[in-house]
Amino acid sequence: MENQNAGLNAAFQALSDPTRRSVIAQLVRGEAPVLELARPFEIGLPAFLKHLSVLEGSGLITTEKVGRTRICRLEPQRLSETEAWLCQQRAAWEANTDRLAAFVETSIEKDEE
Amino acid sequence: MTTKKDELTISRVIKAPPAIIWNAWSRPEQLAQWWIPRPMECKVLKLDLRPGGGFETRMREGDGEYQPHVEGCFLDVVPEQRLVWTTALSEGWKPIEPWLALTAIITIKAEGSNTRYSARVLHKSPEDSRKHEDLGFHPGWGTVIGQLASLVERRD
Repeated sequence: MENQNAGLNAAFQALSDPTRRSVIAQLVRGEAPVLELARPFEIGLPAFLKHLSVLEGSGLITTEKVGRTRICRLEPQRLSETEAWLCQQRAAWEANTDRLAAFVETSIEKDEE
Repeated sequence: MTTKKDELTISRVIKAPPAIIWNAWSRPEQLAQWWIPRPMECKVLKLDLRPGGGFETRMREGDGEYQPHVEGCFLDVVPEQRLVWTTALSEGWKPIEPWLALTAIITIKAEGSNTRYSARVLHKSPEDSRKHEDLGFHPGWGTVIGQLASLVERRD
């Protein structure tokens, strides 16, 4: 039980970041090479690789070297349905908090202009 | 971080003072702008900020009809500090059978010139909520991880 919770915590931790959530969103559509996953983000490759290693450490994704590229894929089987459900609720609240923060922070910027 | 299977807590520092965040929650035209992910549209029907006051938002995609999103009742309202609401009750503390029973405890606390924003969300039980989800009530709440959950189910 404790191990299960540790796994769940790692998964939640991994999903508490918008870049990592976005990577999961891309991988839901299918496996993809690291460079392709990194393309939409305006962060350097080393920073992006750190995000990937957090996801990999949580067990949510695995990576595999195929020739000269590294392929990432989702490994959602480790989550039970219940865990996946709570994960989903958490992601929904994380996402609405992202939107609230973006909304108030941009309205403040507008006021300052 | 909580390890209970029926509640979750998220906490974030937002770069704005508490009053601005309170406005984003308490003014219907502001709430509508962030409460539901774009491109879906949000309509705030009730936002009666007092204990027993109604809370109701609807959502729609494109030119479709507005669908139910959240219907609930405020339990505790302390301006710029705390907002508690539940979907187990509707306006005037009337018991209802929600698609997803939850109580949300939103706290807002100044931290320097920023704000610590926390949401603690209590659920009846994950199993109970799954039942509702299976019935097809899954409005707007669906996210990346929703897709992930359906992927789990397909593979199992």
